[in-house]
Amino acid sequence: MAAETTGDRADDTAQRGETILELEGLIKRFGEFAAIDGVDMTVERGEFRSVIGPNGAGKTTLFNLISGALPVTSGTVRFDGDDITSMSPEARVRAGIGRSFQISNVFGGLSVRENVRLAAQANQQADYSIVQSLFKTTDRYSDINEATDRTLERVDLADLADVEANALAYGDRRRLEIGVVLAADPALVLLDEPTAGMSVEETRETIDLIEEVLVDQTLLLIEHDIELVMELSDRITVLNRGEVIAEGSPEGIAADQAVQDAYLGGVVE
Amino acid sequence: MVGLLIQHLVDGLTVGLVYVLLAAGLSIIFGVMNVINFAHGELFALGAYFAVALLVQAGLGAGGFVVALVLAPLLVGVIGVAIERFTVRPLYGRNPLYHILLTFGLVLVINDSIYLVWGTGSFRLPRPEIITGTVGVAGISVSAYNLFMIVIGSAMAASVWAGLKYTKYGLIIRAGAQDRQMVRNLGIDIDRYYSLVFGFGAALAAFAGIVLAGRQQVTPELGMSFIIPAFVIVVLGGLGSFRGAVAGGLLVGILQESILRPYAPALEGMIIFLLMIGILILRPQGLFGTEFAEDESHELLTSSGGGLIDHQTRLRLGGLLIGLLVLLPILANVLDNPQWVTLGTRVLIWGLFALSLDFVMGYTGLVSLGHALFLGLGAYVAALTLVHMTGSVFVALVLAIAVSAAIAWVVGYLSIRVHGVYFAMITLAFAELYYNFLYRVEFTGGSEGLGLLGIDRYYGVAGAGIDVGTSGIFVGPVVITGRALFFYLVLGSLIFAYLVTRQMLRSPFGSVLKSIRENEERATFIGYDTVVYKRRAFVVSGAFAGLAGGLFALNNAFVSPSVAEWLKSGEVIVMVILGGMGTLYGPIIGAGAYFGLESVLSDFTTRWRLVLGVIFVLFVIFLPRGLVSVPTLLDHHLSGAGPGPGPEPDVATEDSSHGGDD
Repeated sequence: MAAETTGDRADDTAQRGETILELEGLIKRFGEFAAIDGVDMTVERGEFRSVIGPNGAGKTTLFNLISGALPVTSGTVRFDGDDITSMSPEARVRAGIGRSFQISNVFGGLSVRENVRLAAQANQQADYSIVQSLFKTTDRYSDINEATDRTLERVDLADLADVEANALAYGDRRRLEIGVVLAADPALVLLDEPTAGMSVEETRETIDLIEEVLVDQTLLLIEHDIELVMELSDRITVLNRGEVIAEGSPEGIAADQAVQDAYLGGVVE
Repeated sequence: MVGLLIQHLVDGLTVGLVYVLLAAGLSIIFGVMNVINFAHGELFALGAYFAVALLVQAGLGAGGFVVALVLAPLLVGVIGVAIERFTVRPLYGRNPLYHILLTFGLVLVINDSIYLVWGTGSFRLPRPEIITGTVGVAGISVSAYNLFMIVIGSAMAASVWAGLKYTKYGLIIRAGAQDRQMVRNLGIDIDRYYSLVFGFGAALAAFAGIVLAGRQQVTPELGMSFIIPAFVIVVLGGLGSFRGAVAGGLLVGILQESILRPYAPALEGMIIFLLMIGILILRPQGLFGTEFAEDESHELLTSSGGGLIDHQTRLRLGGLLIGLLVLLPILANVLDNPQWVTLGTRVLIWGLFALSLDFVMGYTGLVSLGHALFLGLGAYVAALTLVHMTGSVFVALVLAIAVSAAIAWVVGYLSIRVHGVYFAMITLAFAELYYNFLYRVEFTGGSEGLGLLGIDRYYGVAGAGIDVGTSGIFVGPVVITGRALFFYLVLGSLIFAYLVTRQMLRSPFGSVLKSIRENEERATFIGYDTVVYKRRAFVVSGAFAGLAGGLFALNNAFVSPSVAEWLKSGEVIVMVILGGMGTLYGPIIGAGAYFGLESVLSDFTTRWRLVLGVIFVLFVIFLPRGLVSVPTLLDHHLSGAGPGPGPEPDVATEDSSHGGDD
């Protein structure tokens, strides 16, 4: 699934294949319980990586540690060579870690354009003086508005730009969610079960959209649908009880005995 | 020496136990229903007044004390049940901040009813012989009534504790305070218990009120003076925790009565608020509370405002209104109705204050319960400038803005990391801290305040300008009086504030504020440091509230600590809601409605707050989006079929967000 880099974030120095995300000795405890228990993991730039595991394996906790939604108990998170372990969530977004949420998580009362524009604006907030950001009408920031229009085109929502996000149909909302992630132009995108609760057909459409518009980004996906994961991923990491029990190509994972045991064990319990 | 110490300790325990009973109900109500009951203090006072009615007015005398102790709490309990059933219940499922608004309205209603029935005077409750006089133990004499209060207060607290711990109802209530949803999942209809809990809390408060009434005079301010310490206690102990209410009540009682009042009176009233602020910052769940996963999913109901009236029409309406206001002093002069200018000035000052609150409340969802802090800061800074530095009104107002903005930054820095109800509480604490500070220091004139009448004031800078006391300026055939000149200054300030805030809302800054209101978590995850944005909004709001405060001082030519009392913070919230939150102009309309209503009603009755309170309660329940939403609602009703095609119009975005359309 390789493609030429055409993204907005010019990868002039960055090369496909170098490490973008590195987790080292990551531990997260809730009281006595270790939800993440010593995870080491590296993700390479341009990779499509999936994280799978039975319920309660710690997948969502792992995402929260990467995105900064939860503080780590110990260990380090490195992004693009920098230690970001103690960085705030919003600073991580600005550094280039985007996160897609469950479907309802857009600004429902705002227009589709405003949703996307806010993400594009977040990306450039450092470029403007405080006086500008307080008083200059948003219409007059041509670069932000151009980036917004480009994103709307890419996720095919230009026609619905002035509709309130609450009024969108299910599939369009999903597009918007991805558009919002895209507009912030992240180097790494965390996709949190993007197809949860969808029909087979909707799932297909969503995956096509992700493949189409997020092709330049490094993707880290949590997904339950094993078939989908096998089809899409470059590499797969398997978590169980907060530990990495296997990592490798889809074929390698399919054949792995430990993975089989973990999943079967989960069912039997 | 030891005797004195013990006497102080007994005083502390006595008042502490009253606090315990008051705070326990407040805390349980919050724990189970997530309702912050501002009216709790009034229910407490009502208990005392019912006892007055029975013992003094119905003539039962001291012998009826025990009867009152049983009967009055029962009556107040019934009132509590009715309050829950008819006013609190329709609001479940809305943002918990609406309960604060609702119960504030109930404060106005109950308090004014007390004035209406019992008048402004004070009463003393006759006490049975057996508990009057003093008891001497080992050479130390303490008042028998204090001992009685300690005994009966502890007994009551202990039985509440036992009831919560050992009965089935208690178990369900405690479980509900921990996790309502889980209790529902167990198949228990917790909602049925709500009325019971509310009534029980009310009865407990009434009981405390009667016990206290035997010790001190019963006045209509009783409720107002106990509710704020009760909140301090509940916050210290932990919202929803009975143990916390007991520990907090005793702590505050002893700290206040046994330590501060006798030994450090200068600090009384300030230490407890510092304590409250410290706890809220370091451990918002309080000493004994468990951390709440606060439900902030319910949005504040802001108004679309322009839903029905298009942009052009609105511009014309605005222009027309400003034109009328410009002409008002002249008309008033011609028609010989100078009180119009006085009323207009008040409306515009409060409109400015309400606008400043709307900027944080309506656009970022920060409900400040202590906005009077900034009104008071502006007022005192302006007054002190005029007294000590310069007669220039302009310099005074600029300093009022600057100091208020600076303090808003500090308060915002400390407060904005705490959320929702806790934010409301911490802002309340800051305002009360300042209010008490004004009383305790000398340069503010203490309770006397500062007068400005003897001081030369002028509109201008560096000694050149128009004297404030001027009798009139001739502009062609029209005479502009001194009052009218001030009116124009206020009108200009309000228009300036409106234009500045409106432009901010159209900027990137404003667009982020709106996104925070919509969904703060999401705003964080597209890369905004929401704390910084909220703090900036708070500073802007504080600055304009400070300007309103400066104008307030100039208007009265006098300032006193009452400018920063919590009632002022409540009143301005009333105005914002009456007009319509999240519109900027709605709150100005709200201020107009508030004072318009006052000036109409006060011709008929001095108890106009009662009517106002009722209207406000109805607004919170039935018209939470305020007066500006009326045209849209009427349109719905008249067109019958409902909103028609398109998204729900009543959640339409604020007008400036359409700016990007063309």
